[in-house]
Amino acid sequence: MNMAFKQETLRDDYTFSNSPESVRRFPFPFDEDEYMYSVNIEPHDAGPPGSVFEHAIDIDEHYLTECEERRIVLEDDHGRYVALPHMMDAQWDMVELVMTNLAKDYPESFQLTQDGDNWHWVNQPLGIDQKFVFGDTSTLPMEPFEFISRQVQGDWVIMDQRDEDLFADLGIVTGQADWSMAFDAGMSFKEWHAPVPHAPEMGIFDRALKYLLHLQYGSPVRRTNWRMCVNPRLDTSSEKWHLWGPDNVSVTAENVAEKVYLRVELQALFRLPRSNAIAFSIRTYMVSLEDLAKYPRWIKRLYRVLTSLHPDLAEYKGLNSYLPYVLNWLKPQDDGEVLPKGTQPE
Amino acid sequence: MEKGYSIKSKPIYGTLVWQDHAMHHVVIAEGEGGKALLKLFQQKLPREPLSVLYLAADPQAEKYATTVQKIINEPVTIKDSQAELLNALKATLDSCYMGTQFYVAGTEGFIWKVAAVLRDAGVDDKNVFKELCGSLGRRLYCVHCKTTNENVHHNIHVCTGCGRHLIVREHFSRLMGAYMGFMIDAEVPGEIPAAEEIYP
Ligand code: HEM
Repeated sequence: MNMAFKQETLRDDYTFSNSPESVRRFPFPFDEDEYMYSVNIEPHDAGPPGSVFEHAIDIDEHYLTECEERRIVLEDDHGRYVALPHMMDAQWDMVELVMTNLAKDYPESFQLTQDGDNWHWVNQPLGIDQKFVFGDTSTLPMEPFEFISRQVQGDWVIMDQRDEDLFADLGIVTGQADWSMAFDAGMSFKEWHAPVPHAPEMGIFDRALKYLLHLQYGSPVRRTNWRMCVNPRLDTSSEKWHLWGPDNVSVTAENVAEKVYLRVELQALFRLPRSNAIAFSIRTYMVSLEDLAKYPRWIKRLYRVLTSLHPDLAEYKGLNSYLPYVLNWLKPQDDGEVLPKGTQPE
Repeated sequence: MEKGYSIKSKPIYGTLVWQDHAMHHVVIAEGEGGKALLKLFQQKLPREPLSVLYLAADPQAEKYATTVQKIINEPVTIKDSQAELLNALKATLDSCYMGTQFYVAGTEGFIWKVAAVLRDAGVDDKNVFKELCGSLGRRLYCVHCKTTNENVHHNIHVCTGCGRHLIVREHFSRLMGAYMGFMIDAEVPGEIPAAEEIYP
């Protein structure tokens, strides 16, 4: 794949854009014309070369952009990083997970040398060259999880497993869809999911939790979730709602195609070996409606999903202010063709 | 409010009942929680060692304190500020051992402040029983400026930290002992419905 890293902005002047390859590999989430919540979990197996599933942790052309964005967010509010004290083993598990995967899958950009506990990490795109002793926090410039999570795309929540439940006890969340890690810190699986409509009655969280409690080391799983957003603003956190809320009412019939983005979270779950915690990565991909329209199959399907979406989901996902513009723009592009099941672009 | 509606992260509080298997009972109450205390002692006066800590900051609470003091022949720790009560609790915890059961009665904000002290001391929340008494006022955490607003009685509240009009999100954090508040008129500034007192 194209490993030229771009330097774009995800705020203010929004210079973010997707190359044609980046649009083509977008993890379009709808395999049918209707959408409702489900326990859509599948093995996180390697996908075709170039796809977002090729590697366990996907690094793409926005790598530098997103690392810089994370730095900006943390500088403004370090509370986006939460680390409860009993999670130190999990912090080191994360160092291992990220470093070993990136070095194995992107050797031209990342190199790791391990000599017992003496590790040497080189991150070429970010210009980091760090020797440290694995397990000894004093040999790193900051806590191990903060150190490594500043060098990887996507938000991460690391869940402690105890009392037949999962607890959000460690996390770095700087590009989320309207929730707050600082507020959800320490919550159990069902507590942090409390605001989600309908899913509890459908038994989704009971089944998902039961499944995850038995997640095995070496057999990661994944699912997708989706939202939309106005402007390619990664940081649509609850914390910053006062900043991005006004954008929701800036959509017009003229600008809708370039301003509104479909925003997909590729969520992967990894059991961690030392701590027995579970790492949950939330990797967000954003594509504008304009770019999505390069693939008629996607645009027709999106139209059908959005017209049939349960009103409570539309409200929860925060679409209501601009959904009418989106539907008006999509409508003429759907000729009613029958679309076979599947998420592929063509 | 819609039928079937519930805040799924909101704890459901019970009625305090003595736990028979306890080796030691610690009862912590404030204000109207004094009534829950009296109800407990109407159930029985337990044989096991007992510590009672009570926050009496108003005349009604002082009355409860006097009554409680009369019916149990054991010293009751009575304080008139929350900070002092929590300090007294910390001191009590030093002499607690395995098998201690904790009983907390008061407003939601009080309950979770006590719970935080107990958690920091390593007490398992399973051993902490809670009864909600008195005001239904909520603690509201402003997700924008991180101020926690005490005793919020209206569904829309002006944040004491940043002045934004906050609406209560249906989400409760036990660690913070607070509901999440977020700005109600972020999309269209000034579009603010009339506030109603729904947590009297
Ligand atoms: C694997 C099984 C899981 C399922 C089936 C599931 C399902 C869902 C669903 C349906 C939503 C609503 C999303 C929307 O409409 O945009 C949601 C939201 C959310 N999920 Fe999950 N989820 C799972 C795992 C997790 C895990 C492991 C975490 C770890 C932190 C997590 C954190 C969240 C958060 C923070 C929200 C936002 C809640 C809010 O509005 O405050 N989920 N989840």
